[in-house]
Amino acid sequence: MSATTSIVTGGDPKVRRSRKRVEPIYYFFLFPVVILFTLAITVPGVVGIVFSFTDSIGIGDWKFIGFTNYIAAFSDPAILTSFLFTFGFSLVTVILVNIIAFLLAVGLTAKIRFKMGLRGIFVIPMVISGIIIAYVFQFLFMNSVPSAGAALGIPFLETSILSNPDLAWLGIVIVTAWQAIPGTLLIYIAGLLAVPGDVYEAAALDGASKRQQLLRITLPLVMGYVVINLILGFKNFLNAYDIIVGLTNGGPGTSTRSISMTIIRGFQTGDYAYQMATATLFFIITIIIALLQLSATRGRNAL
Amino acid sequence: MSTPLKRVLRATAGGLSAVLIVGALAACSSDGRETVHFTFSKREAFGFMNQAVADYNASQQQYEVVMDTSGPDPLAASFVRGNPPDLMLSNYNHEVSRFVERCALSDLSDTAAASTIRDDLQPLLDQYGVCEGRTSALPYSVMAASVIYNKEIFAQYGLEVPTTWSELIAVADTLKAAGVAPFYATFADAWTANQGWFDYSVGGAVDIPEFYDQLAAEGTEVGPDAPVSFEKDFLEPVEKMQLLAKEYTQADAPSRTYDAGNVAFAEGKGAMYLQGPWAFSQIELTAPDLDLGTFPLPMTEDPKDLKVRVNLDLVTIIPEDAKNPEGARDFLEYLFQPEVIQAYNESQLGFVPTDDGTAPDDPRVAGMIDYYESGAFYQGPGVLNPRAIPTENYAQSLVLGTNAASMLSTMDADWARLAFRQPPVSKQEDAE
Repeated sequence: MSATTSIVTGGDPKVRRSRKRVEPIYYFFLFPVVILFTLAITVPGVVGIVFSFTDSIGIGDWKFIGFTNYIAAFSDPAILTSFLFTFGFSLVTVILVNIIAFLLAVGLTAKIRFKMGLRGIFVIPMVISGIIIAYVFQFLFMNSVPSAGAALGIPFLETSILSNPDLAWLGIVIVTAWQAIPGTLLIYIAGLLAVPGDVYEAAALDGASKRQQLLRITLPLVMGYVVINLILGFKNFLNAYDIIVGLTNGGPGTSTRSISMTIIRGFQTGDYAYQMATATLFFIITIIIALLQLSATRGRNAL
Repeated sequence: MSTPLKRVLRATAGGLSAVLIVGALAACSSDGRETVHFTFSKREAFGFMNQAVADYNASQQQYEVVMDTSGPDPLAASFVRGNPPDLMLSNYNHEVSRFVERCALSDLSDTAAASTIRDDLQPLLDQYGVCEGRTSALPYSVMAASVIYNKEIFAQYGLEVPTTWSELIAVADTLKAAGVAPFYATFADAWTANQGWFDYSVGGAVDIPEFYDQLAAEGTEVGPDAPVSFEKDFLEPVEKMQLLAKEYTQADAPSRTYDAGNVAFAEGKGAMYLQGPWAFSQIELTAPDLDLGTFPLPMTEDPKDLKVRVNLDLVTIIPEDAKNPEGARDFLEYLFQPEVIQAYNESQLGFVPTDDGTAPDDPRVAGMIDYYESGAFYQGPGVLNPRAIPTENYAQSLVLGTNAASMLSTMDADWARLAFRQPPVSKQEDAE
């Protein structure tokens, strides 16, 4: 999905060994991928970064203008707020998604009836396209919720939260979480099933309550899965696009414009080089985050 | 400027796109006709244009026109890839004008159609920028837009069409007191806040061409200290607009969309509707016989200030990189045949831009013909602002009640920033 992060994690430095022993079959596997990756990601990426130092609108003549685009970008409130919005939204969403998905996973791995059926139901949102989910929820937020609010006499619900510049982001968090929870849930279920049953027996013998078992045994044993879910989730939410387009299209005003939206809008409106500069900044920031995440998680829980 | 690097970049990009799109281009119609890729994205007129394409394809054996309705955004990308359509019939706005300024569109001055276009429309085109010595676009449909009003509701309460701001407020007060929403608004769709509310309000009060000429001259100087700025010149009309939006719209205006608005207005849920004539065909779907009229939104106390908003709703364009310019020209001439262009504009209530064209014969737009013919019109600031400034979103914030002075000063800062990083093409040449 994201070109930026796959660059960070894509390479494998340990291919080099003693020359004679390398089987040609490795190159046979490697080269097509390297060539495709270079053509489809590295070259366009580098071309794009070069263009960020020009005044290109995507067509016609252009010339180099140095760091002008970057200087303008740093003073552009639209870009700064889109960065703030995207990071704030990603942080809130990733926490919400992981808490709910973890608790659901605990429930769905317990000894309950209809376990498989319930799991199936909870996973359905994952297989629906984001833009469709967004349009359905837009209708709910814009029409169903306000009319329910009017019928029940709850003034707070009578106006759509998507029309409120201060609250519209909550709508996006809710819908994004709704779509992202199943994937996270599946990983947690896998993690919980991998915890051996005898540790719980031992804990029960030692007199640990259910709550203590959850916090002191389950959680530490699935910590590796928590880290994976946090990293993958945060990375996905930073690229938020389709759900926002369907729900608010960046509005009201510019209050819910994500970075991806700002960049793509720039391409559509002939602001090619300028938004290439934004994309380059975004790329650098995600690399920094990726490096921080790698160093923070290195050596822990077999990541 | 380093030309070798440019060449390398261009070659790389070109080579890549050639690899990627070679499959798509191989498509040639099976009966040996040459394909003409034609883009058209005005959904209200798909029916008419499908028929026109079918008629044309049936009328000759050489070309086969294929209509692409995917809209303006993929279009920009197609130019970037160097793979634009052969013929575009598109809205004329800043996005298109960039292709004009960079001379990416071919010269149409030697077509038969070009000689039939009214001369007084050229300033409207030039307001967006020019490619010296070329006729880059030919107007096909000029749309005049103003307040749409429900004549039945006006008659029911004995109301006259207002010609001054205070008359407008009096009308709105009467309607409000009677429990009718004076204006039906659809603020959930940002473009409707821009096209109707923002443009009519500002256009009715400010001398738009003069304002933008000065703004362009100021460039990076636009701001609180400049003689002309959005914050200074737009503040009064924008605050009037905010008054109308706050006091005289239906309660759920912020969450209504354009489609929902057309249905609701057709059902008589509002007396006035700030939309263009394109909405008539949508309102008709719900209420075919509704008695509607139009009048320019009065923003001052002087009826002489009344103007209607016009835009070049459709222009024909043949990109320089078109694969089949001959076929495109042939279909272009077909579209400009008097009976086709007249029928098209009649069907969409647009004004024919040719010398012998006649105004649409429809009582719903009759209220605008006098203004249009006497030249009392303007192109809206919502379309004259470069698209890099998110004017639609700003207009949406404004009608939802954000602080007008600070929003307009943001617009000033955006203008200055754009002038800083992307000076107009003409100025670049001066500097070199």
